Amino acid sequence: MLQSGHNSSLLITRRTLLAATAAGAVSLLAPAHNAAAATRVDVTQGNVQPMPIALPDFIGGTPPDSEPARGVSQVITNNLRRSGLFAPIDPAAFLDKGANFDATPRFEDWRVINAQALVTGRLTRQGDGRFKVEFRLWDVSGGQQLIGQQYFSPADNWRRIAHIISDAIYERLTGEKGYFDTRVVFIDETGPKERRVKRLAIMDQDGAGVRYLTRGEDLVLTPRFSPSTQEITYMSYGQADPRVFLLNIETGQREIVGNFPGMTFSPRFSPDGQRIVMSLQQGGNSNIFAMDLRSKTTTRLTDTPAIDTAPSYAPDGSRICFESDRGGTQQIYVMSAGGGAAQRISFGEGSYSTPVWSPRGDYIAFTKRGRGTFGIGVMKPDGQGERLLTDGFHNEGPTWAPNGRVLMFFRDPGGNAGPGLYTVDITGRNEQRIPTPSFASDPAWSPLLS
Amino acid sequence: MKTGLTVSTVGHAAVLLWALVSFGAKPHDAPPPDSMPVDIISMSDFTQLTSGAKTAPKAPVPKPLVEKVAEAKPVENPAAKVSDKPEITTASAPAEAPPEPKVSEPKPEAKPAKTEAKPSEAEKKPEPKPDAEALKKDESKKHEPKKDEAKATAPKKPPQPPQPKFDPKQIEQKLALLDKRAPQRHAAAGDVLSSQPTLGAPNGNAPRLSQNEMDALRARLAACWNLPAGAADAKDLNVEVQMLLRQDGSLSAEPKVLNRSANPFFQVAAESALRAIRTCAPFDFLPVAKYEAWKDIEINFNPQYMFRS
Repeated sequence: MLQSGHNSSLLITRRTLLAATAAGAVSLLAPAHNAAAATRVDVTQGNVQPMPIALPDFIGGTPPDSEPARGVSQVITNNLRRSGLFAPIDPAAFLDKGANFDATPRFEDWRVINAQALVTGRLTRQGDGRFKVEFRLWDVSGGQQLIGQQYFSPADNWRRIAHIISDAIYERLTGEKGYFDTRVVFIDETGPKERRVKRLAIMDQDGAGVRYLTRGEDLVLTPRFSPSTQEITYMSYGQADPRVFLLNIETGQREIVGNFPGMTFSPRFSPDGQRIVMSLQQGGNSNIFAMDLRSKTTTRLTDTPAIDTAPSYAPDGSRICFESDRGGTQQIYVMSAGGGAAQRISFGEGSYSTPVWSPRGDYIAFTKRGRGTFGIGVMKPDGQGERLLTDGFHNEGPTWAPNGRVLMFFRDPGGNAGPGLYTVDITGRNEQRIPTPSFASDPAWSPLLS
Repeated sequence: MKTGLTVSTVGHAAVLLWALVSFGAKPHDAPPPDSMPVDIISMSDFTQLTSGAKTAPKAPVPKPLVEKVAEAKPVENPAAKVSDKPEITTASAPAEAPPEPKVSEPKPEAKPAKTEAKPSEAEKKPEPKPDAEALKKDESKKHEPKKDEAKATAPKKPPQPPQPKFDPKQIEQKLALLDKRAPQRHAAAGDVLSSQPTLGAPNGNAPRLSQNEMDALRARLAACWNLPAGAADAKDLNVEVQMLLRQDGSLSAEPKVLNRSANPFFQVAAESALRAIRTCAPFDFLPVAKYEAWKDIEINFNPQYMFRS
């Protein structure tokens, strides 16, 4: 009360002083906003805990189908658990085994075990040998269905269906796009430390279905996925200088990108998949070039006596971040996609390398080296809010999941052990190792397949 | 010189004007805070609860309790009332039953002549009026057997009374018995809201939740609220929810989201808020004496302060 009185007296003096601003003053006279009639409570604190979700085994249409049906629900369970945002409940606690897919579940049975969401499903073999997979996602507290869908697929492709269902559940419950229906290319490393055989390999994001793309005569490094086609670009040491190659995963067709006199390396696709941006070594320094894949024309983007490398496009294609030692140590710079002046954005201790722009555009991931350790971190595109997500003897090569929430990188523990692949949430929590058949490095995450 | 002076004057005036407008137009927007009751001792509670009692104006005619705005329910089926009387009379004197309906029936019959045509034919046999009207429309041949039927039905009156026994209320009750769904409360509906007047002025010192009680409610909701991590990053995400409670603290209706947002995470955030309320219920720790203050609560779920990166 006291305060509002003070306000109005203040106003009156203003008005007498300045008649011209009467209009402005009138707006000040607007009555103070009324307190709501109902009791109001502000809740500003909550939890960010994994959501308890119940995933009873999918039902098989006929007894022989129950094996793949269980497989589908296990892949989904595994995906959701690995995301760190869900806590699948131990099936031993289930009161209701979800025996009937067509009936509404008894929600009381699921409330008792604190499930917030419930997934039921059924897998049936069609007459033509394909699988029909149906699922429903239920909100247990509200007692309603959130989504229900069905998919058809060849019998040997049920893992893909499980990933697609995982994405649907993830997206409906978190509001973000999923990333489970994706693949990862990486460098598979076998053999003793001094004579490693490095092969290009591809697998599902959960480590299943590994397939080798090269035979291992040539050394391959830094594979990168095309955002729009089933192509990858990578660098390979053949007989001559290291060159940037383009490989079609489906057909196995290979070609050299550009016809440059020197060594080309650290390639990466533009967001539309039409261009490749890479480094070209010229004498003691290297510069960044972009090549249009259709017209085969190349554009020089930097022209400095320093080492400019590891370029990465912003998701809208308007800017490029890259690493350069023009300031003395390796730091991250951002410039327009057409070249021109670059702006330094990293100012912390140590040196920064391999910047990668998030598909969401909100962060740039990088490898940071300092005090004898290699860490993976993120910062905003203007250099603010730098955070290290993981740090240790050797962590390198971050790559983003297509939803911009999870990073994959490789970690070498040192000693006689070799590198392995890990994922970490953008919050720095939920670090997970990806199972690979042998040592693995240089991962590159594909866009969503569907 | 002169131009310099004018330029300077105009410039100064402009700056002054700009300063006055831009600084003056934004007063400290601090609405007078609601006075908040404190429950240090039970005495304050007591005074609060009673303070409004004597000065409160008495409502001239207390309206019937209406808790939600909806189409008002029809009062009663008049037919049901009619059926009550014959039942009683037949129990005492079955022989006299036929004349009884005569007395009671004509009244409701007066308007809907069509529906009750048959009984009137039967009972008002001597009176030719309704028959004559029917005659004009119907063929004369058909009328003859009809009269006979009416005659025949007349002595058989006793079995007829059960027919108007139809009572929608009874069906409702039986349906309710068959209905295995969880009982839901139907709030009294009317075209205008009028809540039960409490002791005391409506807005004066009506009982309010004290800070301690508000904190208890807040803490309970915060413990139940699990925000999806996706929505966590969207900082400008407010979800306002209306929660209606019964005296025992359970939900009297489904909680309702009051605001909207184009934010892609809004739906998920809103669902998490609703989930928090549903899992938290019942709020049985709230004092029953202050039911008026917490039967309708607006909760603002605001993740803004949860995440600062």
